[in-house]
Amino acid sequence: MERELARERTLLRRRVSVAAVLTVLVVVSSLPHMLGGGHHSFLPLWFTSPWTQLILTTPVLFWCGRDFFTGAVSAFRQHSADMNTLVAAGTGIAYLTSLFSTLFPQVLIAEGLPADVYFETAAVILTLVLLGRLLEARARGQTSEAIRRLLQLQPPTARVLRDGQPIEIPVSQVMVGDLVQVRPGEKIPVDGVVSEGSSWVEESMLTGEPTPVAKAAGDAVIGASMNRSGSFTFRVSRVGGDTVLAQIVELVRQAQSSRTQVQRLADQVVGWFVPVVIALAITAFVVWFLISGNAVLAMLFLVSVLVIACPCTLGLATPTSIMVASGKGAENGLIFRSAEALETAGKLRTIVLDKTGTLTRGQPEVTDFERLPGGVLPAGTLLALTAALESRSEHPLAEAITTYARSQLKDSELPAVEGFEAVAGRGVQGSIAGQQVRVGTPRWFEELGIDTAALKPLVERLEAAACSVAAVVVDGRIEACFGVADPLKTSSAAAVAALRRLGLQVVMLSGDARRTAEVVAAQVGIERVIAEVRPADKSSVIRKLQEQGEGPVAMVGDGINDAPALAAADVGIAMGTGTDVAIAASDITLISGNLAGVPAAIELSRTAMANIRQNLVFAFAYNVAGIPIAAGLLFPLTGWLLSPMIAGAAMAFSSVSVVSNALRLRSFHPARLPLPTT
Amino acid sequence: MLILAAAVPLWRTIDQPVALKGLVAMVGLLLIAWELWWFLGRHGGGVVARESEAGLQEITITVDGGYAPSRIKVKAGRPLRLSFHRIDPSGCVAQVIFPDFHKTLDLPLEATTSLELPPSEAGVYPFHCGMNMVRGVLEVVEERANNQSAKRAS
Repeated sequence: MERELARERTLLRRRVSVAAVLTVLVVVSSLPHMLGGGHHSFLPLWFTSPWTQLILTTPVLFWCGRDFFTGAVSAFRQHSADMNTLVAAGTGIAYLTSLFSTLFPQVLIAEGLPADVYFETAAVILTLVLLGRLLEARARGQTSEAIRRLLQLQPPTARVLRDGQPIEIPVSQVMVGDLVQVRPGEKIPVDGVVSEGSSWVEESMLTGEPTPVAKAAGDAVIGASMNRSGSFTFRVSRVGGDTVLAQIVELVRQAQSSRTQVQRLADQVVGWFVPVVIALAITAFVVWFLISGNAVLAMLFLVSVLVIACPCTLGLATPTSIMVASGKGAENGLIFRSAEALETAGKLRTIVLDKTGTLTRGQPEVTDFERLPGGVLPAGTLLALTAALESRSEHPLAEAITTYARSQLKDSELPAVEGFEAVAGRGVQGSIAGQQVRVGTPRWFEELGIDTAALKPLVERLEAAACSVAAVVVDGRIEACFGVADPLKTSSAAAVAALRRLGLQVVMLSGDARRTAEVVAAQVGIERVIAEVRPADKSSVIRKLQEQGEGPVAMVGDGINDAPALAAADVGIAMGTGTDVAIAASDITLISGNLAGVPAAIELSRTAMANIRQNLVFAFAYNVAGIPIAAGLLFPLTGWLLSPMIAGAAMAFSSVSVVSNALRLRSFHPARLPLPTT
Repeated sequence: MLILAAAVPLWRTIDQPVALKGLVAMVGLLLIAWELWWFLGRHGGGVVARESEAGLQEITITVDGGYAPSRIKVKAGRPLRLSFHRIDPSGCVAQVIFPDFHKTLDLPLEATTSLELPPSEAGVYPFHCGMNMVRGVLEVVEERANNQSAKRAS
């Protein structure tokens, strides 16, 4: 396809060059006539003869411009009329009239008309339209640049380990389960999970995240991302059409093949546009013939109307903008599933953010580890005891505490626990090296009659920060406490601020208790909180907002347990995790988990829709204004007659300007937001 | 700016016989009427896709300046395979887009490219070339009532 387009452009360029040279000669040849008919000695008489112009113009029309004529004829047979019909009819009529006056000048002279020829008109129009088509083809090639760039991201070969030996094979032959080696500075060929080694990987080309991401054993890597410093081996998990890159390309292509509501209107107009223009052109001919009795003049009006009308501008107005915008989105890790998604996202009034996994990281972490005044054990010992005990529990908080404790300990060997017991809703206990160790809620220790006075101020502070508190008690003595929270993503507050700047009402949705939810909301600057919502009720909350007239409503979630809510919203926005494109229910997917993508997507939508509106207004205005001028409606008022040649130029550049305006979207940059990694 | 340089010498009124004026007006009107009928009128109810034994509906569309046939009738609720045979070298028709199905198909020159569409509900689904100038319509209709009643009876 690429090669075919390139070949077409080469052919077009050749035809434009030939047409340009011949047309210049025709125009020079017709100059004496245009300048008042007198003989000018600087040109030989044979050169200014209509016959010379006929010989020069014929190849312009029927070799350089043959596609217009063959296209018009085949379209005509299909009962359809398009751009080709107008160009072929316009230039063809000018050519035939001139041919007639070249062959039978005496007929016109007998009628009292000069035996003028308009070969230069036909040649100039055809050359300009051809040039317009070349410029447009070039510009249109740029609209799909983003997809081309995405496709080029994948390296052609991969270094696969076969029987322990690395061999280089084409990416298409890599299979799921293969082990692939990646050296520093190389691109990762397909998706997989690191099995050995570690490195920093730059995923910006797919996720839009500028900062490299650390990868070690167990971490997922995305095909087409760039390995920075280290070497590693990974096991292939997805190849071919299943890879994240392939899915992104497919989604962008899908979006580019869909259409917006506004385009439906333009499409309807395009359907009857050309036949109506032909009718107007014939009307112009008849009216001017009746007024002036001058068939040549009437013919020029007819040609002008045919040639100035440009259904292409209407047809191209929306799709080119959509092409550029969805490609631009993909460059920034914002994947729009359809043109409608792009359209609706620009009109949003309310945006609902899920708390867990969207505003927060979705994984509880230890935020505080405090030793209490009454404690006697050193921190290292306390952490080892806690880790030994908590590692046997399956509670999510225990998992967070174990991870934290292990990360703080140098020694990975944990002491043995005897008599481990989990007390539901309270905590865990057991004996380690003769010491009785308990980790659990402050309430549990109050119930056990342990003095928790030293804990009180800490608990208050931590709860105010939306933390859960776990205390460590050794032999009945309070030693330390942990604050565990699902931390906010660093980008959340800035993203919420950006959304509010865009004039959106921001709502937080959470399953947490109201107090905890409100603390989190306050931290990111959200005033409206809908708390204590069970996962299954999220979609009804969205529907209620829509019913209250606060729509269109967008829902932002992680795409896994929010699927019904994402589907219920006018625009469902799924936050990818960078490796798993959870797209089924969402209209927009943010490849990175960065919330800053949400305001960026909305901004892009608004910019794109404004661009489409400009294009449509221009296209309608151009045709609505151009056709009456070409038909000579202004002549009685201003004495303006539009030369058919100028009409041809206007037409050629109107579609170029629509495409160029759409290409302006390529310079879109989401407002500078702080974009730290999640 | 927009003024035709040679406009003034061109502007010449010639007395024409009323009969000729009347004739020109008549011919013009007839031409308009015929042209509108030719391009906008409905010509035939569209071509019905043939159906294979497996229930797959198939049709081949020739791409040459336009889509032949350009109006295709298929039955609702059955899978469909459209084969496009492109013989038109113009780059404009190198792509065919089905906006309602979010599908774009690249059509190599002098070759037949197939697109399978899922069974769909009754309705009119337009398709067009990459530049939205060459257009066709996929008309999905409910199966005829007697077919349905026959099915119900069995």
